[in-house]
Amino acid sequence: MSKDYIVLAINPGSTSTKIAIFNGKHAVFTKTISHSAEEIAQFNKIADQYHFRAELIENLLKEEEIELKSIDVIVGRGGLLRPIPSGTYKVNEKMIEELRQAKYGEHASNLGAIIASDLGKRLGIPSYIVDPVVVDEMEPLARISGMPEIPRKSIFHALNQKAVARKAARELGKKYEEINLIVIHLGGGVSIGAHKEGRVVDVNNALSGDGPFSPERSGGVPANQLLDLYISGKMKEKELRKRLVGNGGIVAYLGTNDMRKVEDLVKEGDEKAALYHEAMAYQIAKEIGACAAVLEGDVDAIIFTGGLAYDELFLNKLRKRVAWISKILVFPGEEEMESLACGVLRVLWGEEPAKEYKSD
Amino acid sequence: MEKILAINPGSTSTKIALYDGEEEVWTEKISYKKDKINEFDSIIDQLDMRKSDIDALLKEKNVLPQDLDAVVGRGGPFKPLESGTYIVNDSLINDIKGGNVQAEHISNIGALLANDIAQKAGIPSYFVDPVSVDEFEPVARISGIPEIERKSLVHALNVKATAYKEAKRVSKPLDELNLIVAHLGGGISICPVKSGKIVDTNNANEGGPFSPERAVSLPSSSLAKLCFSGKFSYKEIKKRIVGNGGLSAYLGTNNMQEVVKRVKSGDNKAALIFDAMVYQIAKEIGAMATVLFGKIDSILLTGGMAAEEFLVNAIKERISFLAPVVVYPGENEMESLVMGVLRVLRKEENVKEY
Repeated sequence: MSKDYIVLAINPGSTSTKIAIFNGKHAVFTKTISHSAEEIAQFNKIADQYHFRAELIENLLKEEEIELKSIDVIVGRGGLLRPIPSGTYKVNEKMIEELRQAKYGEHASNLGAIIASDLGKRLGIPSYIVDPVVVDEMEPLARISGMPEIPRKSIFHALNQKAVARKAARELGKKYEEINLIVIHLGGGVSIGAHKEGRVVDVNNALSGDGPFSPERSGGVPANQLLDLYISGKMKEKELRKRLVGNGGIVAYLGTNDMRKVEDLVKEGDEKAALYHEAMAYQIAKEIGACAAVLEGDVDAIIFTGGLAYDELFLNKLRKRVAWISKILVFPGEEEMESLACGVLRVLWGEEPAKEYKSD
Repeated sequence: MEKILAINPGSTSTKIALYDGEEEVWTEKISYKKDKINEFDSIIDQLDMRKSDIDALLKEKNVLPQDLDAVVGRGGPFKPLESGTYIVNDSLINDIKGGNVQAEHISNIGALLANDIAQKAGIPSYFVDPVSVDEFEPVARISGIPEIERKSLVHALNVKATAYKEAKRVSKPLDELNLIVAHLGGGISICPVKSGKIVDTNNANEGGPFSPERAVSLPSSSLAKLCFSGKFSYKEIKKRIVGNGGLSAYLGTNNMQEVVKRVKSGDNKAALIFDAMVYQIAKEIGAMATVLFGKIDSILLTGGMAAEEFLVNAIKERISFLAPVVVYPGENEMESLVMGVLRVLRKEENVKEY
C-alpha cells in the first residue's frame, strides 16, 4: 500500500488563490480565496503579491485549524518558465529567481512555486510544481510558422491535458506512452493537443492567437486583415491585443463569456447565439482534424475536458463533426488541484522520477 | 467544334489561346517589360496597350473575331460571387472601371479584353470562376473577432476545373461528390468542395499552410506584437506574409524543384522546412475533412507544385488515411476557362449573370 502523504496544493489565479489539502489522492479540504481588483491593483508586479497571498493562505490554514506540521509536501501551480518537458519538478533556486524576475513573462501562476518554496523551507518539507503551461514536447517541424521571426511555441493547458490523458489511458486499459490521443481543453481559452505516445507533439497556442476562437480569445484570425486593422489605427495596441486575448471570441460577438448563458440563448432559439456557438464548434472541429493529420489518422481516442465539456449541446455539435476520427471520451471540468496532487504523488510513490529545472 | 478564344492577363504578360472544342489550337504569350508596366498608374490604364497587342496577334494568326463562337477572359477579385461561368455584362464592366472590386489586380481586365473582341463580332464573352467565388456557409465566415470576417478568396478556376475532372473520372455528377481540393502553387488554397460548392477555404493570403512565397498561418497575438514592436514597417511585414514569406523566407528560394534537390542532397535545413510545409498542408486538409464530417470521396492535389512527385508522396503519406488521393498536376488556366465556356455553350450548365 502506498503511503498516504498529506499534500498542500496552491494554485494562484489572476483574481483568486485556490488551496487544497489532500490525504493521498483524496481532497480533505478545498478553499478558494478571492482577491478584489483593488487588492490586486496595489501591486506593480505579480511577484510583489507574494507576501499578500502567502499570509492569506497561512491565516486560512490557522483558522481551519490545519496543523502545518502535518503537511508532508507542498505543490504549487507552475508558471512561465523556459520551455521544459512534461513532468513534476522540484522547486529550486534557479526557478524561483526566474519567476521573481518574470523572465518569461508575468502570470499569476508564477506565484505558485514562490509561495510553495517559501512555506516548504520554513516547514522543512519539499516543494514541487507539475506540468506548467510552458511544457514543450513539440516536434521540430511543428515549430515552423512560415515566418522566421515568429516560431510556433508550445504554451497550453498542460496540467489538465496531461492529467486527463493519463486518466483516458487508464480507461482504455493502456499506457499513456503507448497510445495516440487528441485532447481538447475547453475553457476560457481552448487548447487542442496531439498526444503521440505520451508527448504533446503539437498544440495550438491559445495565448498567442492560434487555433479556434474560444469564449474569451480570438484564436487565429486572417493575417492580412489583422495587419490592415493594425495599420488603420482604429484600435490602440492595448485594445487590439485585448481583442485577441481576453476580449475576443464569444464575448466579443455576444457580450458574455458565460457559455451557460450562451447555451440558454441557443435553446431559446436565438439565431445569433446559435451561429457563434456553431462557429466555435466548427473551428474546434477543424483543429481536431488538423491534429488527426499530425497523428496520420492513428488516433486511439479524442478527449474533451475543461469547463465547457459540461455543455452537452456544444459537445453534440463537436461529436457530429469529429466522431468519424476516433472514439470520444469526456472528462468535464478541470481538476487542477487533484492534478497537482497526483503529479507529486507519482513522484513520492516512485512511479516516476522528479525532474530538475535548469535554466538555458 | 466551338471556336473559343481565351485571354489571361498576368502582371507582365497576356496569355492568349485558341481552342477548337476541347482541343488547343495554339497558345501565345505577349510579354511586357516591368518598366513598361510601371509607366501606368492603374491597371485600367493598361487596357488600350493590351488590346492593341492582342489585335495585332490575332491578325498575325489570321484569326477574325467573326470566326469565333465565344471569347473568355480570366476573372478577377470582383465582388463575392457564386461559382460558375458568367456572361460579361454592363454592370460588371461598370464595376471594373469604377473600381468596385475587392482588390486592384491585373486579372480584373480579363473580362474587358474579352468583351472588346466579342463586341466586334457580336458574340458573347464570358469569365469563369474568379478568385472571388464565395460559397461559404455562414459558420465559415466567423473569424474570432467581429472586426474581421473570414473571406473567400480562392484559386476557384483551377479548384473547380479539377473537381469537374474528378467527377468525369469517377463518372458521377459533381453535385454528388464531397471532395477536398488542394491547389498547390505560389499560394496554396485548400478547399472542401461539397456538392460542387467551395464551402470553406484557408484563403491563401490570410491563413492555412505556408507556401513557397507566403507565410499566412501566424499566431495572431504574436503578429500584433511584431507590428507594434516597431522593428518592422507595415510594408515589410505585409511582404513577409505574402511574397517573401514561407519557403523563400527560410531557404532564400521559392522554387520547389530547387528545394527538393537540396532535400535530396542531404541539406538538413531544407528538409526541415520542406517537412514543415508538408505538415501544414496535411493539417489544413485534415481540418477541411471535418467540414465534410469525414465523408470524403477523394482528395485532389493540383497546381504547379503537384507536378513535384517528391512533394506529392510526402503529402500522401500523411493524409491517405482520409480518402484516396488523386493528382492533377498543373494549373491549366486556359483550358479551365475554355471548359467553363463549353459547359455553358453545350447547355450542361446554365450561364450566370453578374
